[in-house]
Amino acid sequence: MTDSIDGLEMALDRLLLADANALDSKDMKGWLANYAEENEASYYCRATENTEHNLELGFMFDDCRARLEDRVTYVNEIWAGTFQDYRTRHFVQRVSHWQVDASTAEAISNFSVFMTPMDTGVTQVLAVGRYLDRLRLSDAGDAKLLSRRAELDTSVLPRYLVYPI
Amino acid sequence: MAEATLTWPKNYNEVPKAAFIRADLYADEIQRIFHGAEWHPIAHESELPNPGDFKTMRLAGIPLLISRDEADVVRVFYNACSHRSNQLETAVMGNKTEFECPYHRWLFNAKGDLVGCPNPREFLPGFDKADYPLGQPRFELFYGLIFVTFSSETEPLETFLGEAGETLRELMAGDGRLKLLGYQKVRYDSNWKGYNDNDGYHAPLLHAAFKMLNWQGGKGRQYTCTRRGHVCFESALSVASGPSVLKDKDLIAFKGQDPSVGSRIVQLFPTFVSTKHLDIINLRFATPIDAETTEVHYAYFAHQDDDDEMLRHRLRQSSNLLGPCGLISMEDASIFHRIHIGSHTPGNAIFQKGVRDPSKLESEFLQNDESGNLPRWEYYRSVMGFERAEA
Ligand code: FES
Ligand SMILES: [Fe+2]
Repeated sequence: MTDSIDGLEMALDRLLLADANALDSKDMKGWLANYAEENEASYYCRATENTEHNLELGFMFDDCRARLEDRVTYVNEIWAGTFQDYRTRHFVQRVSHWQVDASTAEAISNFSVFMTPMDTGVTQVLAVGRYLDRLRLSDAGDAKLLSRRAELDTSVLPRYLVYPI
Repeated sequence: MAEATLTWPKNYNEVPKAAFIRADLYADEIQRIFHGAEWHPIAHESELPNPGDFKTMRLAGIPLLISRDEADVVRVFYNACSHRSNQLETAVMGNKTEFECPYHRWLFNAKGDLVGCPNPREFLPGFDKADYPLGQPRFELFYGLIFVTFSSETEPLETFLGEAGETLRELMAGDGRLKLLGYQKVRYDSNWKGYNDNDGYHAPLLHAAFKMLNWQGGKGRQYTCTRRGHVCFESALSVASGPSVLKDKDLIAFKGQDPSVGSRIVQLFPTFVSTKHLDIINLRFATPIDAETTEVHYAYFAHQDDDDEMLRHRLRQSSNLLGPCGLISMEDASIFHRIHIGSHTPGNAIFQKGVRDPSKLESEFLQNDESGNLPRWEYYRSVMGFERAEA
């Protein structure tokens, strides 16, 4: 029993770190690979201020697998060369989790994301908030994101967003 | 008062780069423009749909509170207690029919009346609550869009809007009966004029998406109106055809009722931009923060008569297409920053496209002409009192 709880925590943290690593490496295919293959796989990025007032609109609203795949295309192809690039560093920490059923878990994690624009080199905070994740667990014991909601405490962004949070 | 001066070039199509960056102009701009005789949109009443709903924001530093009272009347107040001006409400939005200042517990209703204050017998002799309602700026509504002005001299809103009013009405679904979907808020590292000069006006060359989506610009009209040079665009929007790189084609689908004019933009002096694009209705409330920073609140709307499917479509399209992370506008945001940086160099920004005669100002333009911004610059110059160089 203890083993399986530890196994779940390890799987959740592996995924959390893999996602941070993909984003900070600007590896959009790697980012996509952290999501379940299911059609409902989704990613939302939204100010908590909206959520608290029952306003569903977000900064990013990828409510199906096709949109996740399109976001890879936006970043890798459509936007290439049009913006001031910036580095990010995601600091992530799981703060709670629970198992829903044999193949599903949910987790809440804090994040803070620092941004360093290439042109200025001056680091600032890009966004702070929480991930509300629903995860698909495989028989092999690994976890993929079925749904991630990046809920931003930062309701006023310090700049436009190119990469997901 | 010592006033900042700037000599303006003789040609109408030239704008001194210094106008974008000189910090000493900024205080004067706030006085003459933002606190002067202009109307500023600050919200649409559908952002506070229910009795007791309120919204707060700051416009060029001035804290404002918009509330809807129990009888459904919308009013704008200064968000400052009438006693010693403590900021009255701290929430960005919410629902309250009474506002209590925590400092000395003065209590106001949603009409702005002072309805209670502890121990008034200790106050000045003759103190009367009726003399201390919440202060109010002048405000007017246009199809639900709430405008304020801080000057008694500003002409009526209808005159201020001129011909732009009709396009604005059409942009707000024809009747202004909107339903709020939510906000995207962002600060740009750009002077308010750098933001404004590059938001409404669209350089299609910037957008790789247009090309990759096989999206040809439709036939369109751009015109300016009133002495302020408000800019309006109306264009047919050809829906992207042919092979698309997108797997979810709903992002760029057009399901609305207005196919002959798929795209409208209304840009009002000094900072307001609004757009109806495909099925997106977007009002952008912008305010200068300082000479190098502009905060923009992108508010997105549906129509009150939308069915669930249309509501869902608007939500999905609005979140991902426009705004500071949108497929076809993220690059715009980066241009605001880069124009601001690049303007820290000598000389003038010289407008080219659509300029036929630099000694004249026109009011009809082609859809992608950059010359549509020039009447607005001329108005800015005149409000600021800058002399144009002799011909
Ligand atoms: S400042 Fe508000 S009650 Fe005194
Ligand atoms: Fe654009």
